[in-house]
This record gives sequence, structure tokens and C-alpha cells, in this order.
Amino acid sequence: MKERTGQSGAHAVLAPLGVVGSSAGAMAEDAGTAAADSGASEETLSALRQRNAELTELLTQSEEYRLEAERLQGLLGLKETYAIEGVSGRVIGRSTDAWNQTVTIDVGSAEGVETGLTVVGPSGVVGQVIAVQPGSATVRLLSDPQSGAAAIIQSSRAEGIVRGSLSGQLTLQNLEADAEAKVGDVVLTSGLGGSYVKGLLIGTIVRIEGSAGDGSRTIYVSPNESAGALEEVMVVFDATGVDVTPRQSSSASSSASSSASADAGARSEGTAGGTEGEDRG
Amino acid sequence: MARPGLIVTVVGAVVAVLLQAILAPFMVIGAAMPNFILAFVIANAVARPTGGIVAPFVLGLLYDLMGNGPVGAMALVCVVLSFVCSRLLMMLNNDTLFIPIVLIVAGTLLGNVIYGILVIACGMDVSVTEALVGRVLPCGLYDAVLALVMFPLLARLGALDGAPLKME
Repeated sequence: MKERTGQSGAHAVLAPLGVVGSSAGAMAEDAGTAAADSGASEETLSALRQRNAELTELLTQSEEYRLEAERLQGLLGLKETYAIEGVSGRVIGRSTDAWNQTVTIDVGSAEGVETGLTVVGPSGVVGQVIAVQPGSATVRLLSDPQSGAAAIIQSSRAEGIVRGSLSGQLTLQNLEADAEAKVGDVVLTSGLGGSYVKGLLIGTIVRIEGSAGDGSRTIYVSPNESAGALEEVMVVFDATGVDVTPRQSSSASSSASSSASADAGARSEGTAGGTEGEDRG
Repeated sequence: MARPGLIVTVVGAVVAVLLQAILAPFMVIGAAMPNFILAFVIANAVARPTGGIVAPFVLGLLYDLMGNGPVGAMALVCVVLSFVCSRLLMMLNNDTLFIPIVLIVAGTLLGNVIYGILVIACGMDVSVTEALVGRVLPCGLYDAVLALVMFPLLARLGALDGAPLKME
């Protein structure tokens, strides 16, 4: 039905009044609510406060579960990426002396954990099991000064040893003097010596002091896994799917985690053609 | 009947061990982690110089067994420093707080220095400078503060046992 001109004009005039009316209605409703609230008994207020406390606790718990789920998802992702066979555990203790960087986890010999096994976190290598009890195990972190992991630079395939220090800083040592290394390069375990499972992510090169050919060159590696925030880890029994890291171009400066994902993709497609034979386990 | 001083030592030792096992890993400040056991041993040796070296040895051994360092290193440090600090206090005590404070600060720092030397001698691959700057000094200062906090309490309780140093 077509609206007439007079009606249209009346609507145009009355429209602002409608807005005023609705605002007034809302204000009246708010005032009613406020009046009701002011008349609420102490019992109602106590119940609301208690409910509020419960909801806050529930929210905190939910957030904790969400964060834990994220971490476990990362661990699961790493397990799938590297086809890891292992057992996961929680960190239940940390070193009680300043000179050693170790953590205690809640899985031990009862779960098949043995001394010397590699331990990984949600985004990379954490350390190595150094002592085992039936229900727990002690893990020496990679950042400990007594740790040493045979490592390889992903892009140049240069081999060296990643060592920890008292400050927790990782350095790549024993690299050939003319080996190519640059900031942003991804460092992986090489598996040489058998102390660490091959092909797991250690971190990225963040600083280089000196240049190629310089015997005193120091290469600093930023660990992909922060030991301070470590809560869940996985003890690696076997990683059959490792060593699939295709040789990357020198321009590759993607993050370590994305690199690991790329490795997983390459593995699933069976495109490891760029990988040198000597690197195969 | 057990002497009050012995009870103070035993209770204090138990508390120190519990603090070291439970709280110390979470009380890290920069590079320094507290050593409640060393702090207690030094403070107790100065507050109760006649306390003997059995408790320091047991406490040091417990520290070694709880951690991952060379077993016996902290036991040796605790025994030696407890003995030296208590004998020095007996020789130098002039009923002022100056000597106890100097002995506590020097003892905790020296304890960390000796422990660091032992750790490096047992195979830890770190430079002396890194060990000194990165661990010995910060940990020594942290332990000195802890020992200075423990000392008045132990001295007051130790005075019940007829200790040479009485806190009035």
C-alpha cells in the first residue's frame, strides 16, 4: 500500500519524537532496574558476589586450560611433524642449585624413559635425560654449560656443536672456519655421536661475532624453546621421520617453527630431493 | 634433655633444606639463586660457634644430593667454612656486630668461590671469569643477605645455649 504525502510528512516530523520516546523508555527501564537493585537485599548481593567469584574462578581455569591445550597442541604438532615415538610428561621440578640447569619431569623408567634420550618441548629440543627414577626423570637442558649437541646449519649444512653456558646462551662451536653461517639460519640436531635424535629443531642464529675464516668466530643461537616457560615436554624414543630438511636457499629467513612445518610438508610429499645423502639416518 | 641450641640447629637445618628444595628454584634474581643451606651454615657457625661440624656436613651433603653438582663439594665447603668462621669468631669476638657481619659476608662469598672452583675442577666447561661474574659474585651476595637475615634470629635463640655471642 502506497504511503500518502501527508502521512509521510507526519512520519518525518514524528520520527525524532520516536527516538526521544524510545530513549525515555530505556531510561525509565534503567531507572526501574536501578530502583530494584537498590532495594536488593544483602542476601541477593552476597549471592551475586559469590556468583561473580565463581565465574572469575571458572574464567581463570578456562584460560589455564586453553593455554595448556595450546602447548599440548604444539607438542602434538611436533610429534606429528617429526613422526616421534615417545612419552609426554610434565615438568614437576627445577634445579635447586645455581650451577646446573635441569628440570625434573613426571615420567620415568616405568614409562620406558632411559638415560640419554632426547627431550623436546612444543617447539624444539629441550635437552637430554641424565638420570631416571621409576616415576620421574632429570633432564639436563640444552642451555646448561655441560650440555653439547651435535648440530647442523640447515641452509649451509655446516656442522658444529651447540653448547650451553652459565648465562643460558647457546653458542655454535667447532664450526669449520670457512663454513657459511648468517643471522636467521635455522640450526638442527645433526645426530652425530648419537646423543641427540637427528633433525630436531634447536633454534636460529641471532648473532655472529667475527667472520668466515676467523677461527675465533662466535655464533650465538637463540633456542626455539624457552626453558623458563617449560611445562610439558616429550621424551623421544624414536623419530623415524626426521632428517627431511631440504636444503634451503640462502635467502630463507623464515622462523624456525615455520621451517619445521615446511619440513613436515616436504616429508609428506616425499620431496626431500635436496637433502644430502650423508644426512640420512 | 636436649639442649635448646641443638634443637635450634636441627629445626633450622630442616627449614633450610625445605626452603632450598621448594622455594630456591623460584627465588632466582638475575643469575643468582639462593643457597639457604650455605647461608644457614655460616649464620649458625657465627651465632653458635660451638655447634660443631656434623650439621654442616650433613646439610652440605643433602645439598649435593638434591642438585646435580659434584657430590661432596658443598659438604666440604660447609664443613671448612663452618669450622673457620666459628674459630675466627672465637678469636676475634669483641661483642660488637662488626666481626660477625664481616665473617658472614666473607664466609658466604668464600663459600661460593670454593664451590665454583670445585665445580670447574670437576669438569664444568666454563671460564673462570664467566663463573666469577655469572655465578660466584651474585650468588655470594644473595647468600650473604640471607645469612645476615638469619643471623639475629639464630644468635638470639643460640644465646639460650650459652653461646659466646649474645644478642642483647
